Amino acid sequence: MIDPNKFLKLLEKRFQYISGVPCSYFKDFLAFLVSHEAETELKHIYATREDEAIGIASGVAFANKRALVYMQNSGLGNIGDALTSLAQLYKLPMLMLISYRGLEIDKDFPEHSLMGEINEPLLKALKIPYWDLLEDNWETNMIIAIEKMEETSSPVALLVRKGVLCQ
Amino acid sequence: MKGYEVISALKNHLNEEDIIVSSNGNISREAYHILPKPQVYLRGSMGLPVSVGLGLALANPDKRAIVITGDGNFLMGLGSSITAAFYKLKNLKILILDNSQYYTTGGQKTVSSVINYTKFFDSLNNEIHCSKRASKDQIDHDLIKFLNSDTFSILHLIIKESKLDLTNIPWHPEEIRERFGIKLSS
Repeated sequence: MIDPNKFLKLLEKRFQYISGVPCSYFKDFLAFLVSHEAETELKHIYATREDEAIGIASGVAFANKRALVYMQNSGLGNIGDALTSLAQLYKLPMLMLISYRGLEIDKDFPEHSLMGEINEPLLKALKIPYWDLLEDNWETNMIIAIEKMEETSSPVALLVRKGVLCQ
Repeated sequence: MKGYEVISALKNHLNEEDIIVSSNGNISREAYHILPKPQVYLRGSMGLPVSVGLGLALANPDKRAIVITGDGNFLMGLGSSITAAFYKLKNLKILILDNSQYYTTGGQKTVSSVINYTKFFDSLNNEIHCSKRASKDQIDHDLIKFLNSDTFSILHLIIKESKLDLTNIPWHPEEIRERFGIKLSS
């Protein structure tokens, strides 16, 4: 698992807000974030749906600030219009952390199987650039993703596998 | 009252710093043509204006963020009004113009009329809220109370369906974002 303290330190430098809907794959990082709410500059907003979190991050981007959005990949099914007719249309930069459920079809729950299979084709169809958030050298892809986000002024994604942001 | 009459009345109570988020279709066109420019004119983005307003209010604590939404759009993103009520940002104001129709797409009915908005807003433990039929002799009073409250506020107005013959917003969404960004940083 990535050291949540180091992870949060990097996020704080580049983002002012974080919003999303949880996945157990983010459990330990989110617990760390909540327990450090008083010290961190990263303001956490709980959302009721993933598209709402994209809307919040869009409002933040309209104000020339930055937000990241976290969600389970099931939430990818909820954000198509929020991306295509808001964040991508208006060119609003944001970083999405998307958990990669359904990778091992027989081991994860059945509700994740199909999304696990179409996760990457769906991101490609949506024209969202994405990278894996790796446990080792995680800063590398994180920086590449953030640079792409700034360069294109558009949403980008990092896929988060089990064990990367939870034990 | 008609929707554009409410938006025209709103114009008299705005200050230069105010941020308007207008939702798609007629309301964005009316906001563009009637109110000071530039603002955040949403097109598409169904169900999202309240969440965009929440993001703008968070990022601009010294400015009022005023969301103007129709009932269809509001109901599609109903959860975001719960989130907004949870955080109760004093600079976030939500104006719902309710004609119980998806008017832009041809007047198809929405389910809005079943809601008792007063009870709904009460349930959000929100100090300042109001639900009523929009009327010309009360609109200024209602807007002043709504805009000048020191807390998160919601104003739900039942309006008559209407359409001004307005040209489309000439700015591409990227241009809307750029112009609005320049206004904020100036």
